[in-house]
Parts: sequence; C-alpha cells; structure tokens
Amino acid sequence: MNPTTSADHDEFVHPALLYRTDAEYLDLLVPFISDGLAAGDPVAVIVPGPRLRQLDAALGVSAERVHRIDMTVAGRNPGRIIPSVLHFADTHPGRHVRIVGEPVWPGRSATEYPACAQHEALVNTSFAGRDITIACPYDAAGLDPGTIADARATHPLVWEADQRYSSAEYAPDRVVARYNEPLHHSPADAHRHLIAAPTDLRPARRAIADRASALGLPAHRVADLELIATELATNSLVHADGPCELRVWSDGRDIVCEGRDTGRLTDPLAGRRPAKPSDNSGRGLLMINDLADLVRTYTSPQGTTIRAYLRVR
Amino acid sequence: MREFLTEGLAIGERVGWAGFGPVTRLVDQLLAVEGMAEALDRGAAQVVPLSATGAVIEPSAQVRVYADATAAALAAGFTGLRVVAESTPLVRTATQLDAFARYEHLVDQYLAGHPFSSMCVYDGAELAQGVIEQLACLHPTSNQDSVGFHLHASTAEFFSGTLSGELDLSTADLFTTALDRTALPLRGMELVVDARGLDFIDHRSLLRLFDHARRRSAPLVLHVSRTGPARIVNVLDVADVRVELHQERVA
Repeated sequence: MNPTTSADHDEFVHPALLYRTDAEYLDLLVPFISDGLAAGDPVAVIVPGPRLRQLDAALGVSAERVHRIDMTVAGRNPGRIIPSVLHFADTHPGRHVRIVGEPVWPGRSATEYPACAQHEALVNTSFAGRDITIACPYDAAGLDPGTIADARATHPLVWEADQRYSSAEYAPDRVVARYNEPLHHSPADAHRHLIAAPTDLRPARRAIADRASALGLPAHRVADLELIATELATNSLVHADGPCELRVWSDGRDIVCEGRDTGRLTDPLAGRRPAKPSDNSGRGLLMINDLADLVRTYTSPQGTTIRAYLRVR
Repeated sequence: MREFLTEGLAIGERVGWAGFGPVTRLVDQLLAVEGMAEALDRGAAQVVPLSATGAVIEPSAQVRVYADATAAALAAGFTGLRVVAESTPLVRTATQLDAFARYEHLVDQYLAGHPFSSMCVYDGAELAQGVIEQLACLHPTSNQDSVGFHLHASTAEFFSGTLSGELDLSTADLFTTALDRTALPLRGMELVVDARGLDFIDHRSLLRLFDHARRRSAPLVLHVSRTGPARIVNVLDVADVRVELHQERVA
C-alpha cells in the first residue's frame, strides 16, 4: 500500500499516525517523506532527537534534503510550534508542504500535556485551507490511552500501519475547552507584584530579575524572564484594560512567572500567528511563547491566567 | 552647577552663565560662585544675556552662537567653553518646548565633537514633571531618576545616536516624541544606534524604533550588549533590522 496522501493536494491534511513499534514508525513515515522529496515538496520533520536519528538512518543521503528539527528543543513549548511551521510554509509559497510533527511523546509531563493537546487541536484552525499535510506520529504503545483518545479528537484522520480512516471522535474545540484548566496553587512564598500602571513595570521587572537570579536562573534566561514578565503585564494593561498581578516562584524544576488579569482571552490563536511585517499591534504572547519553555493558559469570563515556565534544571 | 563651573576653570576653560534679566543680575548670580570675581576680571568667566523670555529658540542659530563663542574662547587661549544656561523661560509653551528639544539635540551633536559643554538648568518647581522628562531624556545624563531612557547624539561619528536605559509601556509616548524631535542623522543611509547601554526594551518599543527608521527609509542597525533585542527581532521577523551584539556594556 502506498501510505502517502492522494495526489490532489488542495487542502489541509492532518492525520494522527498511531504506531506501536519502531518498524511501524518507519513504515508510516519513510514513504511519506520520500514521496514528498520525489515530488519536490518542501519537507520538515520535527520529532524528538532519537526518532530523528532513526529516520536519518532509514532515509540515508536523502535525509539531507529534509528540514530536520529536534522537537524536544524547538517544540519544548508547544505554543511556539504553530508559528514556526507557518513560517516554514510561508517560505515556500505556492508549494505543497509536508510536515512530520511529533509534539507528544512518552515523558511529556502532566504540566506540559494540556498545552500539547491544545496545540494539536489548534493546528486544525491555524492551517485550515492551506496546501499542507501535517502528519503527527503518536506512540500508541508508550502513551496512555487517554492521550491516544485525545489524538483521535484533535486529528480528522487516523493512519495506522494497516489502515487509514476518518476519526469518528474528531472534536478539536472540545479538547481546547477541556484543557482550559484552572491554574490554582501558586505557592505561599511566590513573590507578588501588582502592575496597575505602566510606571509599575520597571520596579517590578527589577525585583523579578533579582528574585529569579537568587532562585538560580542563569543570567541570559533572567533577561528572557524580564521580557516575559513585562510583556505579560503590558498585555493586561493594553488589552484587558486593567491591572495585572505578576507572581514568580520556583517549582523545583522551573522558574514560573504568572500573570493574572480580569480580561478574557477570546482568540485561542493569540500568540500563535507569526508576526506580519506590516502589523505593529501587540505581539506580546508570541514573544512569550518563543521565550518560555512552556506556557499554560486559563481563561474565563472572570479573567485570564498565563503561566510561563523557564527551565532551571 | 557651581561644581560644573569651577571644574571648567580648573581645566583652563572659559565658563559662561547664560540667563535672563539685566546683566547686573546675571553678574551677581555668577559672583555667588567662589572664584568667579577673579575669573570675570580676566575674561575667563562671562555672562550671556538671553533674549526676551517667551521667545522660541531657533535651534541651528543658537548652536552657531555657541560654536562662535567656543572658537573665540580657543582663540583667546582657553582650552574650551562651558556654559550653564537658565532654560525654564524657553520651554513654557508647547511650541517653545518643541523647538528647544530640537536645539538640545543639535547642540548635543555639536558638543560631541568640540571642546564645548553645557548644562541646562530648569526650575523643577515651575515646570510640570512631563516637561522635565521630555527634556531630560534627550540628555546623556540628568538628575531625573524617573526618566527611563536617554536618547542623544553619540561621541562617535560611526553612530547616528546613543540610546540607553529601559524602554517599556511607561516610556512609549516619551520615546516616540524623542525620536521625532531628535531625527538622528543617518550613517551611510542607515540608522545606526549605539544601544550598548540599553538595559531593557520591550517589543513595542523596538517596533517604534523600527517604524521610525522605516518612515525615513533607512535600515535599522542596533549595537547592543544584551541579547533581548536580537530575540525580539528574531521572533517578529522584521526585515531591514540588524542587531550587533557586543560583549561589553557601555554605561
């Protein structure tokens, strides 16, 4: 069986590839990549490093023609995957683009996973109408059944080693809503700063930088945190038209910077569209997604909470 | 102000006190500074009566006045000229303030390459804080801690100007006004900004700077000592911006 998509590429194709063994992984992906290269399609493979090496070995010299990226680095924060893939697609206008994207792997933490699932769901609206295929491998043997059920809800198509079918469970909006989970429990020792006016930004930024340094964040990441904290609070002042409470703490593995305001985030794709040169409106969330190792969001009619995580160890 | 003048005398400069009102008032004010009686006698100190209060300064003409006075001081054997100028009556109206801010920037460019220095004195009790900030941000240094940033001419020909401090939403309007007033000179068709003393800039402020360059059809070149601006440029994917990272921070 030829496991590639049909020759008629005029719409977005987004299958979940459920594999159970290394052999199935290669059987599903190598033809998809090779056929793309043979057709002259731009191909990008964004998967965890060990999987990248398996594909490299199987593809041989043609691997050099594939844009290869380690997902555990580039996509550590799932919130920055869509902008980078859109950017890749935009650099090949008028061409059918093939992407292999594996943002979920065994080892993703419980804190990371909701952002991964929302990312997968939002891919559908982000690429709707584009001439692109994004194939997302899922390790059906290593991931828990709930994750595989989510994959069936976030992908309109399912490809397995021996069959392909439309997903009867496809319901991406429900996944976005389900993982819009309240973010409680910032620790009692979190440092808090109320940003009620633009002049509050500078002193809060300095205090947050000092706190993060004391908590072990390296200097170059402290600079990123200063930008994250400022962009979070600026977003509240500009878009929520109200104050922002910034909280900073360490959870042992990450420095967490949280912004709370009373605005509601109505655009689920905010922070996931690449900036257009002509568009000078706020790009704060895009900045935060790029700088942080993970971004979690909870929005409701009562307000919005955004947490940015910066890995310390 | 006293220290500024006596320091000038100590290094062989001619010093001046430029102010409003009758010459006798200006002389009396200068004599209140120790050592000025002797300096006045030998021509090392001078008073400069300024034109009527309420006047709008003519930026380039005023810079020429100081350029001529600096040349005269050098011809008379002094090492240079430094002037303290009473500036409050020149910035009371919006028109005055706009012209004066442009003058400040022009004279900044002149003093970057000549043995001339000046100190503007403002009456903090009379002027609104916003006015003081609009002026203070155009000086390399000021005694106004509340001003987040400074934008001024560079001492190096290579740069269009120097930008230091911190830029965020609190400086948004001030920064836009400062960019328009200074109209930094282009270098080789590019806007080359020495931002090695820039401690922080948010993405909106960077876009503001980029916008200013774009309106002047000039690519923007930013020399920085921190990685933040490069990260922003990378994420925003803006064309015609180059960020050059330097190891050393310049205060």
